[in-house]
Amino acid sequence: MANFSWRRASLPVLAVLCLYAPAWLGGSASVYSAAVLIAILAVMSYGLDVIVSDLGEVSLGHTVFFAVGAYATALLSTRAGMGSWATLGASIVLALVFATVIGFVTLRLREFVFSLVTYAVSVVAVTLAANWDFLGGSDGVRGVPSLDLSLPGLALTARSDQELWPYAFALLVITIYLVDRFRHSRLGAAAMMVHLNPRLATITGIDPARVRLQVFLFSAPISAAAGWLYAYQRAYVSADILEAYFLILMLTAVVLVGRRQLLGPLVTVALVLTQEKFFSLGGYVDKIVLGSVLVLVLAFFPQGLAGLARLPSRPSRARASRPPAATTLENLK
Amino acid sequence: MVNLIQQLINGIVLGHAYALVAIGWTLLLGVARLVNFGHGQMYMLGAFISWWAVSDLGLPYWAAVPLAMAAGALFGLAMQRIMLRATFEQNLVSIMIMTLGFGYVLQGVAALVFGSTGQILDTPLSQRDIEIGDLWLTWQDAAIVVAAIVVFAALKWVLDGTRIGRLVRMVAEDPKLAQLAGIDVRRVYYGVFAFEGAAVAFAAGMIAPRTPILTSMGFEEVIMTFVVVVFGGIGSIAGSYVAGVGLGIFAALFGALVSPAYTSAAAFLVLIAVLVLRPGGLSAGAAKGVH
Repeated sequence: MANFSWRRASLPVLAVLCLYAPAWLGGSASVYSAAVLIAILAVMSYGLDVIVSDLGEVSLGHTVFFAVGAYATALLSTRAGMGSWATLGASIVLALVFATVIGFVTLRLREFVFSLVTYAVSVVAVTLAANWDFLGGSDGVRGVPSLDLSLPGLALTARSDQELWPYAFALLVITIYLVDRFRHSRLGAAAMMVHLNPRLATITGIDPARVRLQVFLFSAPISAAAGWLYAYQRAYVSADILEAYFLILMLTAVVLVGRRQLLGPLVTVALVLTQEKFFSLGGYVDKIVLGSVLVLVLAFFPQGLAGLARLPSRPSRARASRPPAATTLENLK
Repeated sequence: MVNLIQQLINGIVLGHAYALVAIGWTLLLGVARLVNFGHGQMYMLGAFISWWAVSDLGLPYWAAVPLAMAAGALFGLAMQRIMLRATFEQNLVSIMIMTLGFGYVLQGVAALVFGSTGQILDTPLSQRDIEIGDLWLTWQDAAIVVAAIVVFAALKWVLDGTRIGRLVRMVAEDPKLAQLAGIDVRRVYYGVFAFEGAAVAFAAGMIAPRTPILTSMGFEEVIMTFVVVVFGGIGSIAGSYVAGVGLGIFAALFGALVSPAYTSAAAFLVLIAVLVLRPGGLSAGAAKGVH
């Protein structure tokens, strides 16, 4: 790919443009609030992106990691008075624990059985969050303090969305960098091989179960870190953090632009949130719009919208329209 | 002792309800090797259409349920039309995500049309009790048990003993070969999805009178369906029936003895245990198809 390095070189420029975008868009409180939310939900989606795009499995339980980060942050900051660095660490550690358990249990499960179990995990998590008093029950956890990442001699606090934006943006940039590094790493290559040709992977000496678990452990803290910041932005956490909305948004973010498109999840989340925050048609209609976009893209542009742009250059249309993650029950073994 | 027997009766009713809700999925997975994560929301839609037909259209209950079934079948057909390409490619990843999307759209549409308040569907049967000594159940409960048995028996008979059943089994065995043999595979796929939509709407029409109807419901139904389908051996009609009844008795006893709020969580833990103990059994079940 000739334009690849050119594309990479333009990323820092794009990053600077994005950092100042909310200010140029008027800098009102609602613009900053939307920008912070876009960054947080994009980070959340990148966690799922590596599972779906690189590993080729659909985890429907990633909202649980997002919720783990948010709940850990809310509980530890309100009940134990922990600072923001400590809650970040705790979110990541807890996400790793959860990912290890879920990963081990689902290690041998493939495709829809894997998805079914991860989906069940998220449904059970909703039941727990809404009923268990330790997690605040149906009231949730209120009174999360504002973000304070101050280091000795350096005050780093954020009391409003405008002040929160640089931190949210930094988290987004770090996440995109990590996902990019992952895709150029040995683990990333191994994941693709396990996904596209499990037999070849085994012959080459790759242990598919091990790779799956490692990718899972890489992805969970990303979604959890998004939950961590989300708790600080909203200042309260309740069971609605496990709503289907977040799952549907994540899935749309992964498929709309196309699998393994580095900026795909960010672009999608930005588009969806812009529609919901500034061109909303009412909550219920927004739901219908988001769900329909997800269905129609997969039905008619299975390669994502990026595949649309590449279509004419491909020799055969039939080939081009084949989704990259096409797998069947037959190749289970 | 009386309490235990009462819980057993509740469990048997609940179990037939689970089995009835799961029957569409069983056929879907067994025949077409398809999945439908919008199943719970289709159940919700069936319940709301039954309620709406009775309360707003003034239809009698026995006419409202077929109306809901027709709507469910139509929705199933529309889903299958949109997912046709992914179906022929057997692209389960896409189908899973698309059916989740359909479920989400349905939730939005239902909230828009029916509002977000809970509704109660009263039927002529649900207000009359059967009492035997200290034990009781409603006529609606009895009707659920009878309906589940009839539907399962009928489906088993159609699949094993008729020409349509033979076609469907051929498609389940090998869709490409079936196509070569001149079977219109597309029509079988459409039929299976229409059956899934109608079956879950029928189940909703029968079972929804037991609980308040909300646009947010469907999650518990879908979890229980997963458990029934996986436990019963994927695609097995008789297996699903047994698994459904077993799960119902488990849920009733767990709800009575431990905690009703965590029943679906407990059922799910059982599912996990089964999956971990016999991970290979599932794909083997799928490969065998309908039986």
